[in-house]
Amino acid sequence: MIHFKVVNHKLSVGHIEMLGVSSASMVQVGDTDNVSLYSMFDTPPESVIVGPLAPFPLPESASEALVEGTEVAEESD
Amino acid sequence: MNNPYPIRESNIGSICIVSAASSAVVQVGDRGETNARLRALAVQRQEDHTRAGDVFFESYTIFSRDMPELTDPDYEEGRVIRLDRVNCSPRITVGCIHIIAAGSAASVLAGNGMRLTADSKIKHIRQYPRPRPYPPAGC
Repeated sequence: MIHFKVVNHKLSVGHIEMLGVSSASMVQVGDTDNVSLYSMFDTPPESVIVGPLAPFPLPESASEALVEGTEVAEESD
Repeated sequence: MNNPYPIRESNIGSICIVSAASSAVVQVGDRGETNARLRALAVQRQEDHTRAGDVFFESYTIFSRDMPELTDPDYEEGRVIRLDRVNCSPRITVGCIHIIAAGSAASVLAGNGMRLTADSKIKHIRQYPRPRPYPPAGC
């Protein structure tokens, strides 16, 4: 038998400022017995960018460079 | 130590919410049980939605997948946890609450609640044609 004892003393908050409450989240001022919050988010992998830089599009001469690259590879064969 | 205040009140000076949309709940008062669910398909397409056809929740396994269960061996063995609460003050006081947006089955509650269960499942899809590969050299 586990005995869990909670003593709530005086609780007084001046100001709460929030930007957003979303996707099955909660904000509560009061007591509660049981809270279960679940969230699943499935997104294409390319939309997750890890790193400080935003991806840039290919430069204008990229297609020429790629074609040249394939030619070189064929010659070496 | 007996409990001088078995139920606490919530005392809020002011609440300012700019937007509460998409099944959001804003409640002032007590609540028994809450079950909030959100299922969303966020589709980003090149074609118009009227021409590109419907999308169905049934097509994606995320919507039929079971939620993970919390395993509590003490509870399963019959060792029940006894919880005692002692409130030394009759109320919780908050001066001002300012929320810009509450949405997607969110809950903003000023008061007591007993049981809250909320789950959200969002599937994000991008529908764009695959870029055509470069033609082989010599074409």
